[in-house]
Amino acid sequence: MKTSLHHRVMIWTGIAVLLVWSLGPIYWTVASSVTPTDDFSVRPIHFFPQHFTFAHYSRLLGINVDRIGGVEVWRQFRLALLNSVITSAAATLLCVAVSALGAYAFTRMRFPGRDVLFGLVVATLAVPAYAVLIPLYQIMIKMHLVDTYVGVALIYVSAYLPLSLWLLRSVFEALPLALEEAAQLDGAGRLYILFKIVLPLAGPGLTAAAILTFLGAWGQYLVPLIFSPQATKPLTVLIPEFVTKNFIDYGLITASGSIAIVIPALVVIFLNRYLVSGLLAGSVK
Amino acid sequence: MSAVSYSGTAAKKGVGRNADTALGVLLVSPIFITMAALVFYPMTRTMWDSLHRINPMQAGTPFVGLDNYTRMLSDAQLGSTWMNTLIYVVLAVVAETVFGVLAASLINQIRVGRQWVLAAVILPWALPGVVNSVIWLWIYQPGAGLLNGILTFLGLPFENHVWFNDRTSAIIAVTVVHVWRMMPLTIVIVLAAMQSIPAHLYEAARIDGATRPQMFALVTLPLVRSAIAVSMTNATVNAFNLFDEAWVLGGSSLETRPILVQIYLETFQNLRFSYGMALSVVITFVSLLISLVYVLRVYRNTRFD
Repeated sequence: MKTSLHHRVMIWTGIAVLLVWSLGPIYWTVASSVTPTDDFSVRPIHFFPQHFTFAHYSRLLGINVDRIGGVEVWRQFRLALLNSVITSAAATLLCVAVSALGAYAFTRMRFPGRDVLFGLVVATLAVPAYAVLIPLYQIMIKMHLVDTYVGVALIYVSAYLPLSLWLLRSVFEALPLALEEAAQLDGAGRLYILFKIVLPLAGPGLTAAAILTFLGAWGQYLVPLIFSPQATKPLTVLIPEFVTKNFIDYGLITASGSIAIVIPALVVIFLNRYLVSGLLAGSVK
Repeated sequence: MSAVSYSGTAAKKGVGRNADTALGVLLVSPIFITMAALVFYPMTRTMWDSLHRINPMQAGTPFVGLDNYTRMLSDAQLGSTWMNTLIYVVLAVVAETVFGVLAASLINQIRVGRQWVLAAVILPWALPGVVNSVIWLWIYQPGAGLLNGILTFLGLPFENHVWFNDRTSAIIAVTVVHVWRMMPLTIVIVLAAMQSIPAHLYEAARIDGATRPQMFALVTLPLVRSAIAVSMTNATVNAFNLFDEAWVLGGSSLETRPILVQIYLETFQNLRFSYGMALSVVITFVSLLISLVYVLRVYRNTRFD
């Protein structure tokens, strides 16, 4: 289609507005995180940092500790970062493994109650988390799993399993059956087919399921607020704690926010194709 | 190799179907156990317990019938949180749909660097909701925030303006954060539908002398209608589940408090467990009902097409 210059200028102006809207707040956070606290309230506002500092980061990470002005937060912060990585990674591995095995059985095998169970599990996609939260809290207390990695990771698995299962079953269904039948004729067993033929072919689908689970677990707030209050507290619970009634330390907030952004940003930059396909498969329930 | 294949076929001939059945059950058993223990049982429990009085501060858990439900009718706080949630839903769904469709059609027009623009647009969705909220908390900050900074820079009288002092601007401020986070979902869904429209339809419209706005209204919109409905369902459910933004930006302030924060406060601060569960049951049903209405509409629309 022929496009006039006028039209192209309009389109790109619109795109520019869209980019400023999407990236502006993120830019501002990163820029503020390297701005000295004294410069924050300088007016008129500077859109680029006038002075550069790593002070907020060193307070968070405990590098050059003697420069700390206020409370010591780096022990908490390091632990929270570690906790976020451990729980999200564990939940992702477990969730994708369990749902891949199950999705294959749901796609290619016959056993009693198959369709009922699949329907029930996928139906929980429409059930919000708070519908189970309170009894879950009582169960977790009884089993001494509150504030443990196992407890939180299991809750994430149960939360993201339905989506992952739904996504992987549609991936497996789309794989050519002829390939598996040929392998079966050659005498390959079910598990051999699953691990050597189906799973390698389903790589993109597995990646999409893993990304959605990881980002979901990484960003969870309400669940860890209740189930990870102390020892396993993740970044998402720690960061809002820098907001106290009397004083808000925006240096810490913007620096810790910038660190929490790194992994999702890397995923979006390098794995966006899989992310988009996963989002589309997940949205068309 | 031949030995393996032989034993394989033998196993298949010998136990055949039963082996498959057993393996199938074995493979889904982790799913069954996880979901039964952490979702199905707690869900039933929520419904059952909402008919009792359960409060860690009070002894006993007597059966109280529908008391927890009837109490909602005279709960004034609850009324205003419902109202807030309703406002969030309407504002967020309208904003995400209008601007999301607009943004999708813009991205659909460009060829150079489309993946990069899409990645940039998706980024806010991928970030933790709490991080989004503190980012905007800093932007809304009265003395040193970016928003007042820009407005003052433009010569407007917004120095030290407090956005959370007044209910209307507080609600809008929370909604903006939510829209910033959730609009990418609408864009992705609608853009995918736009890209699946065959080019020859536009070609035909062009030969018939259609202008660009006409093409958008007569070719694009009708063909992405079901995608828009899907994204509206998502937007509605997400706005119903608004928690992080309101909690970080507004705290327990009643002016911005959505229904989910109310459930959280009733349950984990007032320790009225069973009342919290009754509230959860109600909002689950409302949310399911709304999804169902959308799904049925989409279904009818697509059948008519």
